[in-house]
Amino acid sequence: MNGIDGTDRQVKTDEGPPPSLLAVVLDTNPHAWAHLSSTLPLSSCIAALLIFINAHLASGNGNEVAVIASHSHRAEWLYPTPHTTSPSHRSKLNGSTSSPNGTIKIPENPNKYRPFATVEQSLLQNFSALLSSTKEAHLAATPTTLIGGALSLALSYIAKSVLRHSPVDTGIENPLSALADSESSHTARVPLTSRILIVSVSGDLANQYIPVMNSIFAAQRKRIPIDILKLAGDTVLLQQASDATGGVYMKPEQPEGLLQYLMMGFLPDATARRSLVMPSAGGVDFRAACFCHRKVVDIGFVCSVCLSIFCEPNLPDNLCLTCGSYLSLRAAQTATPALIPRKKKKKKRAGGGDSATPGGSTPAGSSTPMHL
Amino acid sequence: MSASSSQALEYLELLPRQTHTKLYEQPSTVLAIFRCMLPHLAKTIVMAMLYMPTPFAASDLDAWFRPDGKREREKALAVLEQLHIVVPQQDAHRRTSYELYPGFARSLRQALEGSGTHRSFGVPSSTPDPKRVTVAFLDEYARNQWENILFYMVGSTVGLANAGALAQDVNEGTKALLRAGDFVKLAHGRVSITRAGFTFVLQETNAQVWSLLIVYLKHAPQLSMSETDVLSFLFMLGSLELGQDYTTSTLSATQLQMLEDLSAFGIVYRSSKDALTFYPTRLAVTLTSDSGALSSSEPLAKSLVSSNRDGSAQGFIIVETNYRLYAYTSSLLQIAVLSLFTKLTTRFPNLVSGKLTKESITRAVKLGISSAQILSYLTSHAHPQMQKTQPFLPPTVMDQIRLWEYEGERVETTNGFLMKEFSSESEYRDVLSYAESLGVLVWKSDAKRLFFVDRVEQISLYLQKKKNRSG
Repeated sequence: MNGIDGTDRQVKTDEGPPPSLLAVVLDTNPHAWAHLSSTLPLSSCIAALLIFINAHLASGNGNEVAVIASHSHRAEWLYPTPHTTSPSHRSKLNGSTSSPNGTIKIPENPNKYRPFATVEQSLLQNFSALLSSTKEAHLAATPTTLIGGALSLALSYIAKSVLRHSPVDTGIENPLSALADSESSHTARVPLTSRILIVSVSGDLANQYIPVMNSIFAAQRKRIPIDILKLAGDTVLLQQASDATGGVYMKPEQPEGLLQYLMMGFLPDATARRSLVMPSAGGVDFRAACFCHRKVVDIGFVCSVCLSIFCEPNLPDNLCLTCGSYLSLRAAQTATPALIPRKKKKKKRAGGGDSATPGGSTPAGSSTPMHL
Repeated sequence: MSASSSQALEYLELLPRQTHTKLYEQPSTVLAIFRCMLPHLAKTIVMAMLYMPTPFAASDLDAWFRPDGKREREKALAVLEQLHIVVPQQDAHRRTSYELYPGFARSLRQALEGSGTHRSFGVPSSTPDPKRVTVAFLDEYARNQWENILFYMVGSTVGLANAGALAQDVNEGTKALLRAGDFVKLAHGRVSITRAGFTFVLQETNAQVWSLLIVYLKHAPQLSMSETDVLSFLFMLGSLELGQDYTTSTLSATQLQMLEDLSAFGIVYRSSKDALTFYPTRLAVTLTSDSGALSSSEPLAKSLVSSNRDGSAQGFIIVETNYRLYAYTSSLLQIAVLSLFTKLTTRFPNLVSGKLTKESITRAVKLGISSAQILSYLTSHAHPQMQKTQPFLPPTVMDQIRLWEYEGERVETTNGFLMKEFSSESEYRDVLSYAESLGVLVWKSDAKRLFFVDRVEQISLYLQKKKNRSG
């Protein structure tokens, strides 16, 4: 009689892994790629990335991909090509490629699988458009890349895709109602597992500490792992990103072998990772960047109200830059930091990193008067 | 991996090495096998090894997997070895390492990179077709052809008056194939459906297509067609683009012959028998992708599985806790299928209603339909309103249908192999755990050191390897 037991009442429908969405953030910072050009030119990196994306698409029939370039002056979609007229309708399911929007024509190639050709074509076109639109003024303005913007683009795309995939909602005209109970609705059937891969070449991202940290916390909350492939430079931030979200962190010793790193380390999706040992960043540097000068600090001063971090105690008018509450740090300065361990940055590393930013950091990103 | 592709996988696994070697020459075939036949972890292993310059040492592979992932690893490797994709090797120090079969690796690389000049992803017709057809037409055509085949099987059994009129469209070759596959049998000049036929009818469309094609494949040698050619053509069809016309000039003689049969199934469309182009229909392009009648994003479900094109595209059946059943359909085929296990009472223009009764279910069970098949049919065609609850069907109805079936069935049979006479407890344990990790173990008795498996190929290989190692 065990067979009629209520426990197996669930008719087995689909034992296959859920479809997986891979959002690739490619750091296209021209300065950094110029440094790397002797070992790994950007073109061969993109070639490797395309093969990796094809491998990802081939790994599951419902698999999807999104590629975002984090350039020096803007974050740009490489794939899917954003529609200017109807942004809501992007269908690029692997099995059934609906005809691409009229702007991009895919040449017929009998040697290539159609969905692969579609991705490759639009990615390369958008990328060359991005490169040709880059002016010298843009390059001179900043030596770094807009990783924060690219990350939030990726996150918002993933959020939208998850909504599209929660099948119960498909018939509902009002997208807001789906938004309201999104927590409960997509438990119903085939959920979309998503992950973000950042191919990073730029160092020194501390000036974007706040937006990046906010994205990390958003990803953590949505259980989206952020994988980091660090080809050059070193940033505290990205290491923390993969650590906090349970992603993979790799800093290849030989960037030439990029493709093998990608195929072995980053291709397994959430389902496969459950039975694999994944590489992670051994010792993670948990240091934070201060809110006033965007410097990575060992010891800082923390606002007692909003937990903003400052590298020096001389605040204008003794007011916190983020929340505006009265904050006199002179007392902290008079004694040597070693005598007041409670004020030390070190003390708040574990919990502080989590609670520091969501509080009120976003306005600080734009309104800080002391930006250097 | 869905149910439909696992059938194809079973078929592929039984092919000899030479056939595999030949199959792996075509990148489109390799890609299709990779995409829809391999278990998830096997894909991961293949991809990790694809661009690896040296063989993958078994010890490294072990280290890559978590200790609790051993079972999955064994399973994945077993499939890969069975398909001759991964070749185990032993070096001078008796260390095992794995290597991808070179032909497979080369073709998969070509497929991923889009390199080479194999032209295996279909050559589109260069001249514009004056009589170009639309996607909607292709869908309609495919659905008509396929429903005719199904109706030919079901219609006569349930005794619908106009069954004959509809079934006339099914051509002789297809009828012969259905008989050969044991889906229907001819008794007293009348077609009646068999147990296998019921299993077939209640499957999802994609699984049905594969079942029929596998029968086709098994009979290909009799029609003097080479299996490899047939298989690679099917896999190529799976990678084509819907609504595009492809030229027939690059096809082999076997494949041209196939085109004719496939257009009878509704898998491809040709405007006439000697047309120079062909169009793949939705049945073809979804051959190698997920069928998933349940996944809402799949257009196949909308256009093929249910034939009422208005509003409620996918689900149309409502079952109440009092065993009453309402089906919003006007398709004769759907009604015929429902009447196999339902006592239908009323028919309206867009609705039939009836009741699931003990008689109707036991009658269905006697015909060879299992309760699991009935439940999965009802579940996969559940009305969107029903899909709001989890599970879709009322639990009391599900349990009762099973109970009704169990009343008649006390004994269950499985074909397989009994393993016995193990020399030691440790050997017994070792082979047993291997069988368990492969998922072929059906029954065991520790006291008598006996166990029973339903597949034996992998185990005999394993035993042989063990013998070589010790000897």
